[in-house]
Amino acid sequence: MDVIRINGMIKDYNLGKVKVRALCGVDLIIRQGEFVAIMGPSGSGKSTLMHIIGCLDRPSEGSYFLDEQLVSELPKSELSQIRNKKIGFVFQSFNLLPHLNIQKNVELPLMYAGMPMRRRKQKATEILDSVGLLDRLKHKPSELSGGQRQRVAIARAIVNDPSILLADEPTGNLDSQAGGDILEIFERLHKAGNTVIMVTHDAAVAKRADRVIHIMDGQITNGNLAG
Amino acid sequence: MAISLGESLHIGFADIWTRKVRSIVTIIGIILGVMSIMVVLAIVNGMNKSTMDWMQARGGLNKIEVERNWQYDFSKGGKAEFTLKEIDYIKSKIPEAVAINPKVSEFGLELARGEQTFQAQVQGVVPDMTVVDEWDVGKGRFIKDMDVRQFNDVVVLGSRVASTLFGSRNPLGQQVLLKGQISAGGPGGASGMQTLKTQTLTVIGVMQEKKMKAQGGQSAFGDNPLEYMNRRAFIPLSTMIWKVNPALAITSLELRAKDPTSAVALRKKTENIVLNLKHGKRLFQIVSAQEQMQQMKQSSMIFTAIFILIAVISLLVGGIVIMNIMLASIKERTREIGVRLAIGARRRDIFLQFLVQTVMITGLGGVFGIALGFSILNMVGKYLDIQVAASLQMIWVALLVSVGVGLIFGIMPAVRASNLDPVIALREE
Ligand SMILES: Nc1ncnc2c1ncn2[C@@H]1O[C@H](COP(=O)(O)OP(=O)(O)O)[C@@H](O)[C@H]1O
Ligand SMILES: [Mg+2]
Repeated sequence: MDVIRINGMIKDYNLGKVKVRALCGVDLIIRQGEFVAIMGPSGSGKSTLMHIIGCLDRPSEGSYFLDEQLVSELPKSELSQIRNKKIGFVFQSFNLLPHLNIQKNVELPLMYAGMPMRRRKQKATEILDSVGLLDRLKHKPSELSGGQRQRVAIARAIVNDPSILLADEPTGNLDSQAGGDILEIFERLHKAGNTVIMVTHDAAVAKRADRVIHIMDGQITNGNLAG
Repeated sequence: MAISLGESLHIGFADIWTRKVRSIVTIIGIILGVMSIMVVLAIVNGMNKSTMDWMQARGGLNKIEVERNWQYDFSKGGKAEFTLKEIDYIKSKIPEAVAINPKVSEFGLELARGEQTFQAQVQGVVPDMTVVDEWDVGKGRFIKDMDVRQFNDVVVLGSRVASTLFGSRNPLGQQVLLKGQISAGGPGGASGMQTLKTQTLTVIGVMQEKKMKAQGGQSAFGDNPLEYMNRRAFIPLSTMIWKVNPALAITSLELRAKDPTSAVALRKKTENIVLNLKHGKRLFQIVSAQEQMQQMKQSSMIFTAIFILIAVISLLVGGIVIMNIMLASIKERTREIGVRLAIGARRRDIFLQFLVQTVMITGLGGVFGIALGFSILNMVGKYLDIQVAASLQMIWVALLVSVGVGLIFGIMPAVRASNLDPVIALREE
């Protein structure tokens, strides 16, 4: 089954008078359970693509089917629910809420999904346990190392059982040791059946993926299934 | 599925707690505004209540008084006096009056029992006085029609007069002497005084004591502003005019209407009758307690309006301050909003989060304002000695107002927060 099917996608940014075309005609298919790495030089449109796949943004043109649903036509108000139910996003800069302890951070997607307090505490605890942070539940993000923070972010991304897990340079801010740990978690999640899409600069990382997609100047140059 | 109001309150409380100092600073305007609303309402309520108490003690809102018009230029002729015939005429013209009490006063007299004397205001009255003033005897009986018809030498003492002359003994049936100076006629007793031939009076009753709590410090008679009434003594009108001082005329008249509403009409009617009787000269002024009360309420309303306006302005300023602080806070928290949107918060959730937070902050300001207001009212009541009347209703008004300010001034920041583009918000450092 195709989790993601993108056809003729264009994304323009309007900068006053100038128009920046970040993506120019992207076609992409990603299958259920694949581990896909996306590589490309800085400014080539990787993040833009990830944002659209993650329903944080909408394409200027083209169609995007997520789980057979045409999400590129959905109004913004419905995208938030898609993000909540189907997408798990891991950022380079962790993006945890600094005032909340890590348990509360992980609970957030469940809260927005409407899960009652007690159940979501329990679920957040289980997930944090699975990434090895059970003894840090009440710690604030600032009290953790970079690698630990990224593990919290992964826990938050997967807590609501999303269809796809998106990671935009998740090891970019980490040393190689911590980065290795994070990659291991992604591999584990992939082996457990999750669809993982990861942007990375590291060819060694890309090697572990099922497939590597190369992007250049807003176009996919290599690695597409559809060909 | 959006998050519940409960979740928003929870988030709001956590946010406020993390930013305690800022939250407190934010609500100072609201605290002051709510506090002043509380204090003003309580003081105005208290003033109205004590005015009302005063009116009630003096006969209530049904009462109408006909008295010498001090604004009238008496050199143009005429006397502010009624003859008994005129009183009868007025009576016949206003059958709707429940009671009528023509009244004559002497100030230079004293009552004596043995060595004990008391400088009392002696009034010649009719039985209707108890109805007009809603004031009856506490002991014995009041003056009856028979006493007036037969010019009886009887007296009803005010409670102070009785206690001074008789102490704890029973004054009923005892004799007292009436002596001293009487005015010798002419307008306002201007033609000098002469000595009264001492009269012997039998005490038939003692009035109930009149009492109320003083407002704004001490009155002339200590802490009971009604004490002057306890220093009166009443004798039949006829006895006063025919036996004590034939030079006296009836200088004032008290009426009682059926109810406060009809008192206004009765006042106007009586005014016309008296004016005709005195050939168009305004020798008397005629006031109804009801209209006095209304006037007082009106002037206190103006007072209230001015202070409410000040309070509203401080609330508006407070609201604008809060709005700006919330806007700044949202700018600071752009990334947080981006993260929340990225993990599934809907625009509605973000809107609610910030609106609820603003309302919680102003509501908290309201609670502090109410607390501060109460402690100020407490001090005002204690040190300035004026009556304040705080009510539960005022607490609701204050709370509602502060929550309202939060709702009004919270909308704009909340809309701005919920309209953030998640991609741009996440890029924010
Ligand atoms: N919000 C934006 N407004 C304007 N231009 C943007 C915006 N986001 C990205 N771009 C531009 O689009 C292009 C692709 O950016 P991005 O997707 O972030 O690249 P990458 O992640 O591969 O480094 C770049 O030229 C970037 O400047
Ligand atoms: Mg990027």
